[in-house]
Amino acid sequence: MQTQRIRPLGNRPALLLGAAVLLSLIRLAVALELLPGWTYGLVAVLLAGATLEATVRALRTALLPGLGLLLIGVGLGYSFPIAVLLAPIGVGALYLAWTPYMSEREQAAFWGWLLVWPSVGLLLVWQIVPSLYALWLSLLDRFNFIGQSKFAGLLNYEILLTRDPLFWKAMGNTVWFVVFTVPIGILLATLVAILLNEKVRWQGVFRTLYFLPYITALTAAAAVWDWIYNPQFGFLNWLLGTPGLDWLSTPQGIFALALAPLGIKLQGFWAGPSVAFVAIMVMSLWHLLGYQVVVILAGLQNIPKEYYEAAQLDGASWWQQQRYITWPLLSPTTFFLATLGLIGAFQVFTQVLIMTPTGGVLQDTLTIALYLYNKGFRDSDFSYASAIAVVVFAVILVLTVVQQRVLERRVTYEA
Amino acid sequence: MKLEFRSVLARFLVYAVLSVGAVAMAFPFYWMLATSLKSPQEAQQTQPIWIPERLKPANWMAAARLGAQGGSALWGGYEAGRTVTLRIYTGVQGQKPRVSIPTALGAFSDPRAEGSLIRIRYAEGYWEISFTNASSESFRLLPVVVLLSKEYVGYRPELPPDAVRSSGDAWRLEWVNVAPGALGYIFHNYREAWSAAPFGRYFFNSFFTAGTQVLVGLLLAAMTAFALARIDFPGKGVVWLLILATLMIPGEVLLIPNYILLSRLGWINTYYALIVPWLASVFGIFLLRQFYLSLPNDLFDAARIDGASYWTQLVRLALPLSVPGLVTYGIFTFLGAYNALLWPLIVTDKPEMYTIQRGLQVFIGEAGSDYGALMAASTFSILPIVLGYFFAQKQFVQGIARSGIK
Repeated sequence: MQTQRIRPLGNRPALLLGAAVLLSLIRLAVALELLPGWTYGLVAVLLAGATLEATVRALRTALLPGLGLLLIGVGLGYSFPIAVLLAPIGVGALYLAWTPYMSEREQAAFWGWLLVWPSVGLLLVWQIVPSLYALWLSLLDRFNFIGQSKFAGLLNYEILLTRDPLFWKAMGNTVWFVVFTVPIGILLATLVAILLNEKVRWQGVFRTLYFLPYITALTAAAAVWDWIYNPQFGFLNWLLGTPGLDWLSTPQGIFALALAPLGIKLQGFWAGPSVAFVAIMVMSLWHLLGYQVVVILAGLQNIPKEYYEAAQLDGASWWQQQRYITWPLLSPTTFFLATLGLIGAFQVFTQVLIMTPTGGVLQDTLTIALYLYNKGFRDSDFSYASAIAVVVFAVILVLTVVQQRVLERRVTYEA
Repeated sequence: MKLEFRSVLARFLVYAVLSVGAVAMAFPFYWMLATSLKSPQEAQQTQPIWIPERLKPANWMAAARLGAQGGSALWGGYEAGRTVTLRIYTGVQGQKPRVSIPTALGAFSDPRAEGSLIRIRYAEGYWEISFTNASSESFRLLPVVVLLSKEYVGYRPELPPDAVRSSGDAWRLEWVNVAPGALGYIFHNYREAWSAAPFGRYFFNSFFTAGTQVLVGLLLAAMTAFALARIDFPGKGVVWLLILATLMIPGEVLLIPNYILLSRLGWINTYYALIVPWLASVFGIFLLRQFYLSLPNDLFDAARIDGASYWTQLVRLALPLSVPGLVTYGIFTFLGAYNALLWPLIVTDKPEMYTIQRGLQVFIGEAGSDYGALMAASTFSILPIVLGYFFAQKQFVQGIARSGIK
């Protein structure tokens, strides 16, 4: 039961707060040229009136809270960047100001919306509307702030999909990234997790060692790997016994390199990822392995021990236990990691930028994210970059849905 | 899981596989640390140097002794009026070494060391070179080059040189700093990297950005999750649908429109740009909603009968009970914000607004081949997270594990 509250200032402080925040929002809208400038002035006059009235009331009733609110109101009005955040408070305060006594249902509605509004507002402003805006941008012709951009229909998509070899290069690299890293990563992680799940000594030490790369920033990690891969002084060259070999800047695909001595010539996508890109994939595997191990370990610990005991009684070998108990019961976890790996592949950026800032020799390490960054922020072609983003969105959506449909039938959930 | 590993071979295999893997996982870290302590010449050797000179305690003593002469035993220096004496043990008196204080090239050393008097004399078994700072200025570093005739076969300088090169009929011994002090000697690269770019500011920016994102984001996510899990309000279905829809939007789609919005707002190079777009987190809402759904209904009914408003229920009941979820969310958000490169790269182009990753990325380009400084900068950039991990290992691992469970 909500008891009636007595407010010395009536509802005016709340009203004032709400008005200040609304004012901020209107400033935001004016800045974005969504509203004409004079709206702002109008509301400013209204706010000044409200402020005056609140001040008079504050002086009459309770000086300090009134003054405090006045200061907050003024402060808010002049710092509109926070308006997006404070909008829910304003809306809530306004609501509270007009309806001070609420029934149970009204309370639920009020608090429900007040509590979800900040997140929903932010999601709307920074995610939902921008994605629609990206869709709109992709239909424009060379939008880059300067000059007039006109509606171009599907021109960007047409160029992207039919006349842009670099886009297909980046797509191909992303496909190779998924094909190479996702299965290998999950297999390696499962192996390590199964071993770590046994009673091994120094389990904590091992887990820490496997896990540390994941929390290490990719920027720093990529710098070290770049140093290890360095053509002149790199550790790897010493390890392979071939100092001075500039093998990282070989633009041919590894399949093409491997099959060339046999006289087989492979080209384009079928030549496989370049040596440099394989190097980046190895680094990415290293980075993510710890995360995968921890997630799989958690999955393993969710498998009831009775299954293994029963299997042992039936005389199942270690391998059979892994094959018929661990693997199927782990499939939801594996599925989760595969989906994550798929989406992650489209975001591979940091390590590529650090290790091959220009996308490598002949763009052989170009990834989708780097290509998007190049088009948008180096070439200032925002509409073309938006088209890339929309295509990526579509591809991820289709792949996830297909993956869900195909794999869900095979994924065994616990009975 | 209980498996019988009766054979010793199986156990051996388990440890062998785990150890090989662990070495492979840890090696880049070792290499980063080792290189960060190497002199430029050591770093650029094809034959890997496993233990750099700067890690050998015998050299620390000499560094401290020389540092104390120049300024302090810990951080060295070359203060006004001080004299630093370097000995090179040669055993016999041969040709007199030629000594100079170079005007150091490159960004990582103090260029001026003028007003120095250099005296060279032979005493029993060693050449003694003393540098007197006759100016009224103090210097942080005292770089020195000694040309020592090749007739000395078994020479041994008091402080190992940072580089030895062949220069005609002489060995060219180079020190970046002859009076380093113990810490100044070991952490030379760290000190130079730190002073080469405003890393302090970068750290502040990163911590401020990530910290605000975690704290405000936590509150917002908890509020939303609580309302979605515990309050029956009209329009809940629409909100839930909206959040589910957001889940499908990949990060790339947002980069350009958000950048345009930010630049129209004049938010480029502000903390707002780094923080505000990522405050609402669908991941956090999902995670915490799951937590709040799992809490028993009776708890909240009782609170309700006692007259607690929804806000009180959230703050006094739900928040304290969902600490594990909050920690998980906090760790993920902090890691994400601290380690992010792409977003800071887009929304900041002034060094004073760089985050640590952005600063490091620029530094990697600028430091070029100074791998010691590069690795030092990389090391201290990952240090806060690694230290945090060692302090809150359990929470980290559980948090990560929780992320993969439906």
